[in-house]
Amino acid sequence: MRKLLALAGVAALVAFPFVFTSPYYLHLMVVVAIFSIVTLGLDIVFGYTGEVSLGHAALFGVGAYTAGVLAFQLDWGFWVALPLGVLVAAGFGAILALPALRVTGPYLAMVTLAFGTIVAILVNEMTFLTNGPLGISLTKPFFADLREQLPWLEMSRPRMRDVEYYYVVIACLLIVLVVISRLLGSRFGRAFEALRDSPIASDCMGVSVYRHKVLAFVLSAGFAGLAGVLFTYSEQYIAPNNFSFDLSIQFLLAVTMGGRKSRVGPMLGAAIVVFLPNLLADIALFRLVAGVIAGVAVVAGGVAAVRNPEQRLRAAVPVALCLAFFGFSLWLQQITDYKLTVFGLMILFVVYYLPDGIYGLLRQGLARLQRRGAKAVAPSSAWTAPPVLDANRPLLEVRGIVMQFGGLRALDTVDLTVMPGTVHGLIGPNGSGKSTMMNVLTGIYVPTAGEVRLEGASIAGWKSPEIAAAGIARTFQNVQLFGELSLLENILVGLNHSYRSGAAEVALALPRARREEAAARARAMGLLQFVGLDALADEEARNLPYGKQRLLEIARALALDPKLLLLDEPAAGLTAPDIVVLMEIIRKIREHGITQILIEHHMDVVMALCDEVSVLDFGQKIAEGKPAAVQANPKVIAAYLGGDHAEAADAEG
Amino acid sequence: MQILAQLIVSGIAVGMIYGVIAFGYQLTFATSETLNFGQGEALMLGSLVGLTVVAVTGYWLMLPIVLAFGLVQGAVVERLGVRQAIKTKSESGWIMATIALGIIFKNMAENIWGRDALKFPSPLPEAPLSFMGVNVLPMELVIVVGALALMLAVEAFNRKSIYGKAVVATAADRDAAGLMGINTSVVITFSYALSSMTAAFAGVLVAPVTLTGASMGGVLGLKAFSVAIIGGLSSGMGVVVGGLILGITETLTGFYLSTGYKDVPGLVLLLLVLSLKPAGLFGRTAIKKV
Repeated sequence: MRKLLALAGVAALVAFPFVFTSPYYLHLMVVVAIFSIVTLGLDIVFGYTGEVSLGHAALFGVGAYTAGVLAFQLDWGFWVALPLGVLVAAGFGAILALPALRVTGPYLAMVTLAFGTIVAILVNEMTFLTNGPLGISLTKPFFADLREQLPWLEMSRPRMRDVEYYYVVIACLLIVLVVISRLLGSRFGRAFEALRDSPIASDCMGVSVYRHKVLAFVLSAGFAGLAGVLFTYSEQYIAPNNFSFDLSIQFLLAVTMGGRKSRVGPMLGAAIVVFLPNLLADIALFRLVAGVIAGVAVVAGGVAAVRNPEQRLRAAVPVALCLAFFGFSLWLQQITDYKLTVFGLMILFVVYYLPDGIYGLLRQGLARLQRRGAKAVAPSSAWTAPPVLDANRPLLEVRGIVMQFGGLRALDTVDLTVMPGTVHGLIGPNGSGKSTMMNVLTGIYVPTAGEVRLEGASIAGWKSPEIAAAGIARTFQNVQLFGELSLLENILVGLNHSYRSGAAEVALALPRARREEAAARARAMGLLQFVGLDALADEEARNLPYGKQRLLEIARALALDPKLLLLDEPAAGLTAPDIVVLMEIIRKIREHGITQILIEHHMDVVMALCDEVSVLDFGQKIAEGKPAAVQANPKVIAAYLGGDHAEAADAEG
Repeated sequence: MQILAQLIVSGIAVGMIYGVIAFGYQLTFATSETLNFGQGEALMLGSLVGLTVVAVTGYWLMLPIVLAFGLVQGAVVERLGVRQAIKTKSESGWIMATIALGIIFKNMAENIWGRDALKFPSPLPEAPLSFMGVNVLPMELVIVVGALALMLAVEAFNRKSIYGKAVVATAADRDAAGLMGINTSVVITFSYALSSMTAAFAGVLVAPVTLTGASMGGVLGLKAFSVAIIGGLSSGMGVVVGGLILGITETLTGFYLSTGYKDVPGLVLLLLVLSLKPAGLFGRTAIKKV
């Protein structure tokens, strides 16, 4: 079905120049296709990694000016400019992403805005290179004169040139579509979404947030650069004010309004944004469209009100707004002065009532009509060969670790030795430093002093992804799943280490990339089966009940093939039957030779499972030994129950 | 040497304006971790409303009217642009909504006051005073004093009054403040009102020295953002120092390099600070909890 629709779309694009012979519409279609390339690329950053970029007009401009400057200064043509424009823009994207190492959210939005402003200033001021505000003129390439070979075309030379250029742009768009679809459907797309939903968990799954953010920006910038080159040759004239901040907003509006995280959405949005100025140039047309929108809103609101009477009032607001907008359009005498107001109102409306965009709305409707059957994946074994470890050498050695936060010593010279193949309990009252220890072991905190050795190699000061790669996996006390990814995809993020193929191989869909993906999916299914969640493989993780989320986290951590698995309060909030299941899972993990550190407040769980138990209190280790011995230790009882009991215990002991 | 001193003095006045606008960013960021991307437009509106009012009332009486207008405008921005996004925790939501409101305000201003730059009457003599050969406009002194006074007044309000304590409490921990009976959404609206008020005030301070007009906001808003980041979004001291750094580097680049490039060092500084010390020169780095 999808393939059929896609084929129909391609056929329509191919037939377009012969259906609409007006050069005006042909040019508009070229611009729509070019903007689509930008918005599809922007969607990688905006939709998938969830970062707002206000600098895409500048990246687009970098590509455009690469082509312009090459033609203006060196007289180099289209085919040289095309790859160079992509590379130069991608390079700028990398520079732009460097500050992204440390910042997110509004900071990143501002970085991109500042970057866009700097580029605009430089283009304006570096007259010796860019011809400054005067802009650069060049001519559209003429690829081949086919009129003699194909006389039935009956084209004039300029039209031939325009049609050829149209096909070149469409070819670029189709290639971009295929490449982006493949990349976003692969481990890279999953990594982008993972780092949006939980950066910390991504890092701890060995998926470096920084590297993937840079990759997302570089890819996105490369596509913007490609579009820029195409734009320069399509318009045959560029000037600095073509690439202003307003254009960045238009790109963002296009992606949001069309629908994020899809291929159709950004293209739809690009078409709307391109046709918008035409719509806003003609008051009669504007009134007509406003009227149609109001009509659609009344019908949709009516349907919603009948279907869900309690939400009537909520549904009435957007309908009233659409009607008011229609009234506004009737009241306006002329529209050109109010263009930007209408534009702003559109953004507001989309933000409020169409957060998933037009395509998102359509998709919801379609999903109701046809329940998408889960694509069945045959599970393979959840397990790979158990890690080969020296049974007599400690797997993990922590020596004199200190973690200082300002005046607070969360960990005070703590030692910990974990032997391979054991389940090592780490208990202590709330605030005793257990989770801090986990964070130190997984590189989230860099310890103030002390040593951490995994199989004899010092890992203190390593970054989380490196530690994950070295073989330490973890779960989180406050569950850190990738909410908008499916269960299967959550596990696949954990399996990121099992891939060898790079982005280029994925884009070309080479055999190795496809083989690895199939193997990883089968393995992920096996892991889901192990924790009993295989029936829900295609469900979004955020829809899982709490207890199952914890099991999913364990399966995801196992996907790393860890030597050491850290479980941070896995039983917290679980029902009694769930705890039984959990204990069985922990036993099985041990049988497969994976060493575990278990933080837990349920003492029965700790006593039943652990080979060794260490007790922390106020950042210091106060006891260690076999579970039964620790349980009887007066210091431990005092830590849990308070000072008086300690004295009583001392007196008795 | 005298030229250098002259440039620094002019830079200080410009920098204080950036500082005041940046202070407005801090106010809303503290309570809601959101910012008004249309802050420059709030300044522009304040200045243009001031221009209309000043003809009737004179400069000093105009000030309270403009401050009141700023309060209302900020509350409107929060209600229309930010509230919904905070509820749905949508970051792109508030960024785009405040940008959209900025676009609408600018377009409306263009339709009301026209697209040209307008002269704002100066309340003080426009002849410069001369200190040891360095010329200072009386209005520049008013800018420095007025900017500092406004920031101190808001700080004093936050520290001394019970309403201010509600603001500080919300800034420290929104959930806990809500549980203690503070209506945090009112506090957030209020912080936006205060933020736009400072911007509007900055608008009428700066307008007599520069010009005013519908397009004056964008650049100022962006520069103030640089200042807020360079100084740190959590440090009152930071915005003053950040503003001065930016104002002075700008006038120096404008003179020694080219006026076309005068915005570049500030932006480069912004990118550098974000790459090296994202909490800002004076900001505290938060410990992430897992």
